[in-house]
Amino acid sequence: MIQNAWLIPVFPLIAFVVLLLFGRVLREKAAYVGITALALSFIFAVAVLFERIGGETYTFVVDWITFGESTVTMGYEVTPLNAMMLIVVTLVSLVVHIFSRDYMHEDDRIHVFYSYLGLFSFSMLGLVLAPNILQLFIFWELVGLCSFLLVGFWYYKPEAASAAKKAFLTTRVGDVGLLIGIVLLFNATGSFEYADAFAAVEAGLISDTMVTVIALCIFLGAVGKSAQFPLHVWLPDAMEGPTPVSALIHAATMVAAGVYLVGVMYPFFLASDTALTIVAYVGAITAIFAATIALVNHDIKRILAYSTISQLGFMMLALGTAGYVAGLFHLMTHAFFKALLFLGAGSVIYGVHHRQDIREMGGLWRRMKVTSVTFLIGALAIAGIFPLAGFWSKEEIFASVLANGDPFLFAIALITAFMTAFYMFRLFFKAFTGEFRGDHEPHENNGFMTLPLIVLGILAVVAGFVNAPFTGHALEGFLTEGIAVGEQAHGGFGLAVVSLLIAIGGIFLAWVIYGKRSISEDFLPGKFRAAHRLLMNKYFMDELYTVVFVRPCVGIGKALYAIDRFIVDGIVNLLAVVTRSVGSGLGKRQTGQFQTYGVVTIIGGIAVVALAFMLRGYFG
Amino acid sequence: MSAYNANWSLMTPEIVLMILALVIFTLDFMTGMSRNKPFLGRLSILSLLATTVLVAVFNRETGQIGDMFVVDGFAMVLKIVILLGVAGVIAISMYYVDRHRDVYQGEYYSLLLFATLGAMLMVSSADLITLFVGLELLSISAYCLAGFKKYNGKSTEAAIKYVVLGGTASAFILYGMSFVYGLTGTTSLVDINEAVPTLFADYPYIMTMAIMFMIAGFGFKISVVPFHMWAPDVYEGAPTPVTSFLSVVSKIAGFGIVLRVFFVGFESVYDEWAFIFALLAAITMIVGNMIAIVQRKVKRLMAFSGVAQAGYLLVPVATMVSLDMTMSMITFYAVAYLLMTLGAFAIITLVTEDTEDDALTSFSGLYQRAPYLAIAMTIFLLSLAGLPITAGFFGKFYIFVGAIQAEMLWLAVIMIFTSIVSFFYYFGIMKQMFMRDPKPNDDQTLSVPKPVSAVVTISLVGTIGFGLLANVLTNYFNNLQWFF
Repeated sequence: MIQNAWLIPVFPLIAFVVLLLFGRVLREKAAYVGITALALSFIFAVAVLFERIGGETYTFVVDWITFGESTVTMGYEVTPLNAMMLIVVTLVSLVVHIFSRDYMHEDDRIHVFYSYLGLFSFSMLGLVLAPNILQLFIFWELVGLCSFLLVGFWYYKPEAASAAKKAFLTTRVGDVGLLIGIVLLFNATGSFEYADAFAAVEAGLISDTMVTVIALCIFLGAVGKSAQFPLHVWLPDAMEGPTPVSALIHAATMVAAGVYLVGVMYPFFLASDTALTIVAYVGAITAIFAATIALVNHDIKRILAYSTISQLGFMMLALGTAGYVAGLFHLMTHAFFKALLFLGAGSVIYGVHHRQDIREMGGLWRRMKVTSVTFLIGALAIAGIFPLAGFWSKEEIFASVLANGDPFLFAIALITAFMTAFYMFRLFFKAFTGEFRGDHEPHENNGFMTLPLIVLGILAVVAGFVNAPFTGHALEGFLTEGIAVGEQAHGGFGLAVVSLLIAIGGIFLAWVIYGKRSISEDFLPGKFRAAHRLLMNKYFMDELYTVVFVRPCVGIGKALYAIDRFIVDGIVNLLAVVTRSVGSGLGKRQTGQFQTYGVVTIIGGIAVVALAFMLRGYFG
Repeated sequence: MSAYNANWSLMTPEIVLMILALVIFTLDFMTGMSRNKPFLGRLSILSLLATTVLVAVFNRETGQIGDMFVVDGFAMVLKIVILLGVAGVIAISMYYVDRHRDVYQGEYYSLLLFATLGAMLMVSSADLITLFVGLELLSISAYCLAGFKKYNGKSTEAAIKYVVLGGTASAFILYGMSFVYGLTGTTSLVDINEAVPTLFADYPYIMTMAIMFMIAGFGFKISVVPFHMWAPDVYEGAPTPVTSFLSVVSKIAGFGIVLRVFFVGFESVYDEWAFIFALLAAITMIVGNMIAIVQRKVKRLMAFSGVAQAGYLLVPVATMVSLDMTMSMITFYAVAYLLMTLGAFAIITLVTEDTEDDALTSFSGLYQRAPYLAIAMTIFLLSLAGLPITAGFFGKFYIFVGAIQAEMLWLAVIMIFTSIVSFFYYFGIMKQMFMRDPKPNDDQTLSVPKPVSAVVTISLVGTIGFGLLANVLTNYFNNLQWFF
């Protein structure tokens, strides 16, 4: 079965082609084409995973391009890491396909939507299976393109169109770093293969500075894709896309590709302490930065988007503090519960007739039972409540940061965890409890939308067990097999209690303010007016970028263009003027007076001789 | 060697093309003034294809005619690129002249063929005089073509600007060449190459001046900054198929002589001029991409995009590690550039003609009006911007790797950053196609004439094919003997 792993991305590709050709005929039935393809992919992914657990890494490559003396291959590879990723991607993609059948059924272009989803799933699975970094880069760009198409799916909304463009261009900045890193790596090792890069580092063939530079360039790519500070600005805007897309691309899979990239290149990062420290700090800053914005936002999807940024920061923090397994474990658990939360949000938005402002919700608990219960499970999981998935992975991250010994990072991690619990339950209490504040009576949705919620809800409960102490950290054993990623830290009972208390503290504070309402909602914002304004405006990052990058670019373009016009029209007009005046000037000279001709001839002759002498160098 | 015992068979393709061009010219006389003459277009395409076959047959072996005319790998590949490019241009033109009765058909096609002949001569010459004759044959035909819509003010203005500025550029080239001739006493590039190292030691200023003059003149022909300013006006005013000719064929042929002159004639003093090209490449990429952002008309946008593309093509000239690699990079990118630009221009011609408007908004709702064209255009634009899995991506990547290997990191970084800027304006067109509704008074579906759709399809297949299987070309290029 593992030899047939290449079929996993091919099924969605077939779905894409079929829908491209027959989409207009199939219309709403397009959903079933997509669902079937992804179901097959999922079955294959499960089979491949089981075979991989007992077996070995499988690689299949053929020669692709010859570059001077080195040959670039293409093919596919099944390692423990990507076997896990295959499950995550196919499963989330499958449930999103199922969910979208009803969520999108009012849309005339539902077949187009499903064809884009198919193309995205193909690209993302291709990215995961890539055996070398150049092939990864190609799929990396393709998922970016799919993200562009899907964010801009409702293109008639101006916000959606500009969000799509912003998402693409911002991540491009990171991609440039990645491309430079790839080429520097190629220059240093003469190969794009992961194994060759690791071998070269181990043998000390690359200077330490170069290792750091390459690692940081690659990390820049991850910063763009995984929406890390300061390139995070695109992700909240990307919420203009349909909600299932947010669940699939902007929560579970594509944005995690940056984390995956760092994971794949991990032995390389381990060789450079500087690079690891930067990864850790960028992750930590992103985690707390995004969490603070999520504290005050009112849009259900944007809160989740900032939460995603923050959690991705957590994963980077783990990777930066040598917590290889912790970071990737959190990637997996987060994929399930964040997809759950987004689909839950989608179900809510659909239920309340396309409202997204949590101030216009409330009291959904009694009206949308399945959605509410599963959403609560997701919220508890992300807050890190025992024994849900988030608890285990977050605790691993704490352990890794603590073992790293930087108290500043540890403090940030704890504060962020507190904020996470707080903003998630702020959202939960405001949207699901109290009185309904909207104008259309909400209703629960049917099976196609609730089934995915139930599946993901179960996973949000049990997914953490795969790396819990009582299963003997099974995932760790699987992921670290055969690669040198160093000793993985584990927390003890004490750390588990601390992390649990922090989560409960956050939830309690949210309950006091938004559930029980003992403290007014406006109390804290009123107390810290400037800080609240800063957070409401997302630290003015968008405005800053407009002033620093966008306007100067357009300004320089306009200025250069003006100079261009001035010179070219200037030359042509000057020629016209000169020709005309010389013409009329010469006309005056032709006065019929022989003397004048003579003078002109002599002056002309002297000029020619002088010019000749000058060029010969006699005067110079 | 005299004219009698030279190996004239090397020139077979050129001679045949000239005869065919004259035949078409004569046929035009014989068939009256004002008739629509589609057969002339078909005949021209056939002539070009026949010549391509002859090139492939007769130019496989290297050879020369008295140091004046050489046939080598470089000449053969560029000739094929040029001939196929012109065939594409003619296919687009057939649609265009059908709609414009003021474009007189016979002269139009024969002028294009004569221009092609000039371009073939350019890339095959090893002598400054032959080279200049080829260049002028191309340029003068192109001046006429730019002003072919006689009764249209913009077209006439374009032609006048092109003639005046093009003439100035030719003067610069000749002036530079005259210095070289004065110092070396020869016009043969091979002899010049032997003589220049000592001359550079003895007369550094005059030699530098001569090189600068030639770079300025050639820079005009390939539209690199700061000699690019004619391009937007001429591109906008000229009939759209002629614009595609200027931006594809004329530019590739221009690069042909730059490479021939500098890599054959001045190769021995590479270090003296490489840096000038590096600077030109840098400002060309920056200025071209920056100005393109603020363009609102599609042909002007393509003009600046073409300027930026010329900048990318100059990067390998300035970052040579080995001659074979450099030539392989440039030629690969030239092929990619031909495919994506020609495909894009086929669609631009169709759309701007159909809507009778050359603003970017003429593309609005193209996806609804003609989905195939919109998808094809997207792929051409993505290729121009350098996104996988297109030939444009691979070409840029190849050049980028070369620049890093030559340790010109600053140039590589400029290249990659300006290419992000380029996404900005290419997206402008994509946004119109996919994210706007068609204008109310345009037809709901756009019918695509066969020749145009053939050009689009072939370009599309090539753009994706060489992106996926770049190996086919690079392997061939790696085994080619570039210069005689």
